[in-house]
Amino acid sequence: MQSTPRPSPQPRGGPPGEKRTLPHVAFLPFGALFGFILSRAGATTYDFYAGLFLFEDLQLFWVIAAGAATGAVGVALLKVTGAKALLTGAPMDFRGKPFRPSLVPGSLLLGLGWGLAGACPGTVLAMLGEGKLNALFTIGGILLGTWLFGVINAPAVGVTAAGEPHDTATRPVTGTASP
Amino acid sequence: MEHLITWDGWVGGVGVGLVVVLLFLTTGKALGVSSAYGDACGVAGASYFRKGAFAAPRWRLWFALGLPVGGALAVLTSGVPWAPTWDMGTLYPTVLPGSVWLRGLVLVAGGALIGYGARAAGGCQSGHAITGMALLNPPSVLAGGLFFVGGIVSVQALFAAFS
Repeated sequence: MQSTPRPSPQPRGGPPGEKRTLPHVAFLPFGALFGFILSRAGATTYDFYAGLFLFEDLQLFWVIAAGAATGAVGVALLKVTGAKALLTGAPMDFRGKPFRPSLVPGSLLLGLGWGLAGACPGTVLAMLGEGKLNALFTIGGILLGTWLFGVINAPAVGVTAAGEPHDTATRPVTGTASP
Repeated sequence: MEHLITWDGWVGGVGVGLVVVLLFLTTGKALGVSSAYGDACGVAGASYFRKGAFAAPRWRLWFALGLPVGGALAVLTSGVPWAPTWDMGTLYPTVLPGSVWLRGLVLVAGGALIGYGARAAGGCQSGHAITGMALLNPPSVLAGGLFFVGGIVSVQALFAAFS
């Protein structure tokens, strides 16, 4: 079979792109670094949340704005170099999350909870690590809300799961597997 | 009672952005946190979170487990002893119930809105507002703006009604 197609040297969107697999526990130190910086940035301080939405203290606005801007510059540089991920050799997952109609009410609900609880899904975990016990209530609530979404949307799993975070290296994105 | 070291907002933001870039550079993954809660529900047996985009593997769960470690390290390097506390600063205590359990109920409700909303939106502040905007992804920019609208509405209402 001399006409057997060779595998593409840079396969897109699937496990073949990953040269070396990374044990999942390797992501823990990255999370620890992120939690440390969130704390230093003031994103684990309740007063900064209330201050932000009362327009009295823009600390967290600058965190998000500078975070997005720094990320944008870094991503642009990575795209220019076309580099592969250093630890795995996989292509980087630069595909943005797609739009879907539920994004609008979902984002508003998340925002309401953001102000009410004075925390985000990420920062509340760092708060817990700092010893802020109120984080336990919020974490419990986030798990409850997440679980409820799964229960309510369970019959349509094949549809609603589209647009969830995707891993270039670990699973196909547009899987059409039947439920 | 807060004695934690806090950088200027823009410095912290640069740090946050660098973590996003570092994760891309080393692992190729897009930073995000809220789906780890879905993974946790999946591990606990919720069938919705065991299929589709939530089928194993679950690297995000390990990333999320690192966050409390980072928070603890931030305290331990602040020159203050690590100690559990119910403290919520100066602003929220003026509008939330004084009783720990009633306040807890409000926080559970807020958390539930966050959890449900994040799944409906497909991401949270880290995945949409930071990583998504770093990717200049229009749906993420929209989501980030709507997060702020919701936050302004709930906090303004809370302080208008109870302070």
